[in-house]
Amino acid sequence: MAARRIGVEVVVGSNRRQVLEDYSHGGTLTLNFRDTEIGTQQIVDYAKEHALEAIVSVDDEALVLAAKASSVLGLPHNSLESIFSIRNKFRMREKIFKAGLPSPEFHLFSIHKNPEQLSSQVNFPCVLKPTFLAASRGVIRANHPKEFKQAFHRIKSILKDPEVKSLGGESADEILVEDYIPGQEVALEGLMMKGELQVLALFDKPDPLEGPFFEETIYVTPSRLPPFVQEQVVQNIFRSAQALGLMEGPIHAELRFNENGSWLVELSPRTIGGLCSRTLRFGTGLTLEEIVLRHALRLPINSMEREKKASGVMMIPIPKSGILKKITGKEKAKKVLGVEEVSFLIPTGQQVISLPEGHRYLGFIFARGETPAQVESSLREAHRNLEILIDPA
Amino acid sequence: MIKITEIAREKVLAAMEAEKRERQALRVTVKNGGTVNVQYGLMFDEEAKKEPNDAVVDGGGFNLLIDAKSVPFLEEATVDYVSNLNGSGFKITTPAAPELPTPDLSTPEAQAVQKVIIEKINPGVASHGGNVTLVDVKDGMAYLRLGGGCQGCGMVDVTLKQGIEVMIKESVPAIKGVLDITDHAGGSNPYYQPSK
Repeated sequence: MAARRIGVEVVVGSNRRQVLEDYSHGGTLTLNFRDTEIGTQQIVDYAKEHALEAIVSVDDEALVLAAKASSVLGLPHNSLESIFSIRNKFRMREKIFKAGLPSPEFHLFSIHKNPEQLSSQVNFPCVLKPTFLAASRGVIRANHPKEFKQAFHRIKSILKDPEVKSLGGESADEILVEDYIPGQEVALEGLMMKGELQVLALFDKPDPLEGPFFEETIYVTPSRLPPFVQEQVVQNIFRSAQALGLMEGPIHAELRFNENGSWLVELSPRTIGGLCSRTLRFGTGLTLEEIVLRHALRLPINSMEREKKASGVMMIPIPKSGILKKITGKEKAKKVLGVEEVSFLIPTGQQVISLPEGHRYLGFIFARGETPAQVESSLREAHRNLEILIDPA
Repeated sequence: MIKITEIAREKVLAAMEAEKRERQALRVTVKNGGTVNVQYGLMFDEEAKKEPNDAVVDGGGFNLLIDAKSVPFLEEATVDYVSNLNGSGFKITTPAAPELPTPDLSTPEAQAVQKVIIEKINPGVASHGGNVTLVDVKDGMAYLRLGGGCQGCGMVDVTLKQGIEVMIKESVPAIKGVLDITDHAGGSNPYYQPSK
């Protein structure tokens, strides 16, 4: 849609074969994401007949392939080294630590080690996480050795899932353990341009994310934090992006701050996940995707100033795992003042999986308002109207 | 809220008596609410099967049950019983969704789009258990409903814009684009799960 609005042709590369690919006249391309040598060759072969001007990855999984193919084709891209660092949370932590930025103590452990022995090497509370999964999948807080052991085994079982193992490769044999960082969490949407950070939006996350699992819920922008804190957050993320070698393209970062400063939690060279980008409008109505595409194609961007209104999204929490039986109250939720959309991604009758094993959002509520407080209130009220019935599987 | 005409009420009560449907209610359903293909339904249902969020309306001798999802589409609706040359039966009308004209699929453009769907698109998407139905052609836009493996599929946008639209526009230059009116949240067997 963004490409159409700009008026450029787009080819969608996916690891899932598009059912009408043979009729799309090069509009879709099936790629090998797991073996990036093969995937790169597929893109290079395609480019022999179709001129490519930019390759943009829309999620974490395709980052390495997009960077490799861009490198071979001489298209603008972030260095492969930076992408490799970012795709592994341990390597990212190492880079941030070496750059002298605030870092929690962290350790990388093999899943084959004895968690009872490992627990003596870490501080409590701590957070255990896989090094390569997204959307808080497999991220668990442990307050003492017993919880550490339980969390370790739970993550180990996620990592043994054949699909996860295939995705992570050798990284599926590792668990990263970091000191738990108390404090409030924010998310930043930005665009790196010639090594400089252009902030597109800073989101508050008003729900406390204290564990044991870290389910994303509400994002609201603009941030209500004092300007000096916002500045500190932005500076930390800019310095982190520099330390990771990111020069061009979108970044999505999550960061915590407390009385000891601001602490990077995650940073990825992509846009915000799921449907969340629908919260953002810029200049004369540009979407986030249009800005990213315009930047990738070196087209002018008249304004990257976010609209005046406050906006926000709630990633609808999955209360428990099971079969989604029924969702009621959607129409009532839509009628809440300020609510613009209530969308569900998982149809009734399908399995829903809560964190830490889950990796799909149930749905989203979007709202706009005059103030961030109004938006937050609209999102919460809309959510209260929803009744989500789940039968245990 | 929904109203029932006197003649419709009498017909319901007569049917309940004839079919010995004591302690039953009349359930009113809406399918494809808010679209040109809205469908209303009436059926008897056990009172005991009432869901907690069902709206309950006194029909005069029996209850009308409406599931929460259908309530907005039945604001100010009327359940009537009509008899004419075409036969007789219950009829539901709503001011919010007045009787819509039946889409004209006999135009040359619609016929040409239909041909592409039948001969090329449906055989293609059938390999993923999907199907595509032409609902209307208006102002150069083809309105489509996707079913089976396409309904709720994580790749449906790509299928629509990079596949179906390309094929239709190529064969029927008068068509400027396609619009998907599918309720994807209702898809029970999507070929690809949405990834997030």
